[in-house]
Amino acid sequence: MTPMKIKYTLYVAATLLLASASAFAAKMAMPTDAPASYDAECASCHMAYPPALLSEQSWKNVMSGLSKHFGTDASVDAKTQAEITGWLMKNATSRQKYSETAPDNRITKTTWFIRKHDEVRSDVWRRAGIKSASNCGACHIDAAKGNFSENNIQIPAK
Amino acid sequence: MLPKFITTSLLMGFTLSVSAITPQDLLKSYEAQSSKASSNRGEQFFNVKHGKEWSCSSCHENPPNHDTKHIVTGKVIMPLAPSANPTRFTDEAKAEKWFKRNCNDVLGRECTAQEKADVLSWLMTVK
Repeated sequence: MTPMKIKYTLYVAATLLLASASAFAAKMAMPTDAPASYDAECASCHMAYPPALLSEQSWKNVMSGLSKHFGTDASVDAKTQAEITGWLMKNATSRQKYSETAPDNRITKTTWFIRKHDEVRSDVWRRAGIKSASNCGACHIDAAKGNFSENNIQIPAK
Repeated sequence: MLPKFITTSLLMGFTLSVSAITPQDLLKSYEAQSSKASSNRGEQFFNVKHGKEWSCSSCHENPPNHDTKHIVTGKVIMPLAPSANPTRFTDEAKAEKWFKRNCNDVLGRECTAQEKADVLSWLMTVK
């Protein structure tokens, strides 16, 4: 191989690497203007999900049924409900890929979520360190910062 | 100028003393709506199931004096006993909100003042 060809090959390889890295880098940064109530009312029981994980319609659906929220009563007063709903809808996904209305209002039942996790075996999901698919941070160590990159995963061994 | 300053300070002090309560205050308020609390009854109530899937201790554990994990999501829950977490039961609206939510989860109804008094009196004895 001539030096020119080697250079070209390296260039192609680097480009491919970069392209694949960006395709896997799922960033859903938490908006900086989250109301304090989002943390107090929602993130007491589960992580503060970045609003971009669901569509506007899905958030509307979630927020209209808080007294029966996945088996628990997560009701809030009317003022707080309006505040959180408005903020979630304003920051809902704007990307086609995440725009479907989530079945049963669950992020974990969206087509993209299922496809992204199809290699995770059922016994892995049940590990004590994970417990639930809603526990993003168990494996996505920077999930709270909205970083779901495939390069940033540590699956608990137990 | 000075009187105005004093008035403002008094008003602020008054506002603070109204919004901040102690677990003892809250217990008295629940007892006033029912009868004397029983910490034995409270402990029993906290640790058994009430016809549904969970007990209070499913998420808060027994004794609830350390960080625990939500039984479904795994999210860390701060200790419930005031001895381990002095902010507990110092905000009446917050305490009422969580009693409402969690009683609905555990019993399928809201708790009575007596049940709240019993549980709180037991939690106040947890070291």
